[in-house]
Amino acid sequence: MAGIGGAETTAKKTRWGILNAVVVIYALFPVLWIVSLSFKSKDTLADGNFIPRSWTFDNYSEIFKTTEFVRALANSIGIALIATAVAVVFGTMAAYAIARLDFPGKSLLVGVSLLIAMFPQVSLVSPLFEIERSLGLFDTWPGLILPYITFALPLAIYTLSAFFREIPWELEKAAKMDGATPGQAFRRVIAPLAAPGVFTTAILVFIFCWNDFLFAISLTSTERSRTVPVALSFFTGSSQFEDPTGSIAAAAVVITIPIILFVLFFQRRIVAGLTSGAVKG
Amino acid sequence: MSLDTAPPPARQQRRATPPAPKGPSAAARWARRAPLLPALIFTIIVTQLPFVATLIISVLRWNSLDPDNRGFAGFDNYAAVFTDANLRSSIVTTVILTVVVVVVCLVLGLGLALLLDQKFRGRGLVRTMLIAPFLVVPVAAALLWKHALYNPEYGLFNGAITWLWSLFGADRPPQPEWISDMPLVAVEAALVWQWTPFMMLILLAGLQSRPMDVVEAARIDGATPWQIFRYLTFPHLRQYLELGGLLGSIYIVQNFDAVFTITSGGLGTANLPYTIYQTFYQAHDYGQASAAGVVVVIGSLIIANFALRVVSSLLKDEVK
Repeated sequence: MAGIGGAETTAKKTRWGILNAVVVIYALFPVLWIVSLSFKSKDTLADGNFIPRSWTFDNYSEIFKTTEFVRALANSIGIALIATAVAVVFGTMAAYAIARLDFPGKSLLVGVSLLIAMFPQVSLVSPLFEIERSLGLFDTWPGLILPYITFALPLAIYTLSAFFREIPWELEKAAKMDGATPGQAFRRVIAPLAAPGVFTTAILVFIFCWNDFLFAISLTSTERSRTVPVALSFFTGSSQFEDPTGSIAAAAVVITIPIILFVLFFQRRIVAGLTSGAVKG
Repeated sequence: MSLDTAPPPARQQRRATPPAPKGPSAAARWARRAPLLPALIFTIIVTQLPFVATLIISVLRWNSLDPDNRGFAGFDNYAAVFTDANLRSSIVTTVILTVVVVVVCLVLGLGLALLLDQKFRGRGLVRTMLIAPFLVVPVAAALLWKHALYNPEYGLFNGAITWLWSLFGADRPPQPEWISDMPLVAVEAALVWQWTPFMMLILLAGLQSRPMDVVEAARIDGATPWQIFRYLTFPHLRQYLELGGLLGSIYIVQNFDAVFTITSGGLGTANLPYTIYQTFYQAHDYGQASAAGVVVVIGSLIIANFALRVVSSLLKDEVK
C-alpha cells in the first residue's frame, strides 16, 4: 500500500481534514439536501434552511397514498427481481462455459456480448416499440423484462466470468477423483466458491434494472407497468401550479434507499464487481 | 486467461491442436457448449432482431401521421439526419456534452483516486460516501439537481449564495436562474457529479495495482512526488484512463435521463438520444428516428474504436 505518511503531524491532519470535508460536501451534500427537503412541510420548503424547521412525514404519507407511486414501486420491484433472476441464471451458465470450457469462437462470443452491453439502447427503442405493440407486449411486465434481461446478460456474463476465472477449478477435478459425480462436484465444491460472485452480479444487475429510464418511459403507457423512475418524472410535469418538490424529494429518497442499503451491506463486493473488468481485463 | 492446467478435452481448434486422445464424443462436446446457448440465443433475438428492424425501417419512408405515404426511401432518412438543422445541432450537442463530461470526470476522478490512495483515518468511509452519487437512481439524481440545487427559490446553490452574502453583510445576493442561464452547463454538472465516482473507482483500481517496489526505489533514488507521478504512476494508469474514458463516452453519448429531466431537451441541450426519442414519439417519423438510431450505433462503434487507438498512441508518444 501507499507508504506515505509515517508520523502524522497536526498540520497534516488538518490538511486531510479539510480535504476530506470538501470531498464529502461535494459528494454528499446534494443527497442530504434532498433528504432534508423531503422532511420539510409545504410552507417551509423554500426557507433555505439546511435542517428542516418543522419536521413532517406528510410528503411520505402523501406519495404512499397515491396509486401512481405505490403501483410503480410494485412494478419496479417485480420487474427488476424477475429480470435479475433470469439474467443471473443464464449469465452463470454462459460465464461458466466461458471461464471453464474451451471451444472455437469463444473470444468472439465474449466480444459480441461486450458489444451488446454497449449497444445504444435508444436505437432499439423504436423497433422494440413496434414489435411489442404487434405482439401485445407493450405496456406489460414482460415487455420491460425482456429488454432488461438482454442488457443485463452481457453485464452478468462479463462480471461473472471475471469472478469464475479466479476459482481454483482443480478442486473440481480433485472432487471427481474422490468419486464425486460432476453434479456433486459442481454443487458441493464449485457452487459455494462461486456464490459471492453470483451474488455481486445479481446486485449489479438489479441496480441496472432498477435505474433504467429510457426503456421504461418508451415501452409503457399506463400505471399497469410504469416503473418508479418514470412515475417520478411525471410528478414534475403534472402539476405546474402546485409545487411537487416535496413529493419528488420523498419519492427520490424512497427509491434510492434500497440501492444505498445494498451498497452499505455489500460495499466491498460491489466495488470489486465494478472494477473486476478493469483489474483483470 | 483461465486457470486451466490441463488442456480441456473439448478443444477442437482448427489449427494444429493435437487431437485429444480420449476426447468426449461430439454429443458430449455439444453438451459442454449447451450452457452458453440460452444466453446467446436470447441476447441475439432481443437485440439483433430489433436492430435489423431498425436498419430496415431506416431506409423506409414511414411516418405514422401520414400512413398512406409509406415506401422505400433509400438513404433519404440518413441525408435528413445530417441536413436537418435540429438533428445536426443535436449531434454537435452530443459531442460537446460527452467530451466535457468525460474529460472533467476523468480529471476529478484522478484527483479523488490519488486522494483515496493515501493512507488516512476514515478512508473507507470517505470512499463509500464518494461512491454515493453513482448509486443514486439517475432520474432521481437529475431531479435532485433540477429541484433541490438549481431551483432559484429554494435551491441549494442560491441558498448558499444568499448565506455567503449575508455573512459579509451584503443584502442583495445574485440569484441566477441556473437552468435557463446556462442549460448545457447545468446538464453537464449533474452528469459530472454522477459519473466521477465511476472514473474514480476504475482509476483507484489502477493505482492500487501499481508495483509499489518500483515507486519505493524511485523515492529512495530521490525522485520528487511529481516525478514519481509523471514517470511511474501516470504511464501505469494509461490503460485505466483509456478504459474509463471509453466506457464513460459510451454511456454519456447515450445519456437520456438527465437531458429529459433537467431541460426536456430545451434551450439547445437536446442530444441525439433525446432527439431520436422526440422524432419517434412526438413527430412519429419512424424512418428518420431509425436512421438517427443507426447513426448513434455507428457513432458508438467509432468511439469505441478510435478513442482507444488515439488515446493509446498519444500516450505512448508522450511516455517515450
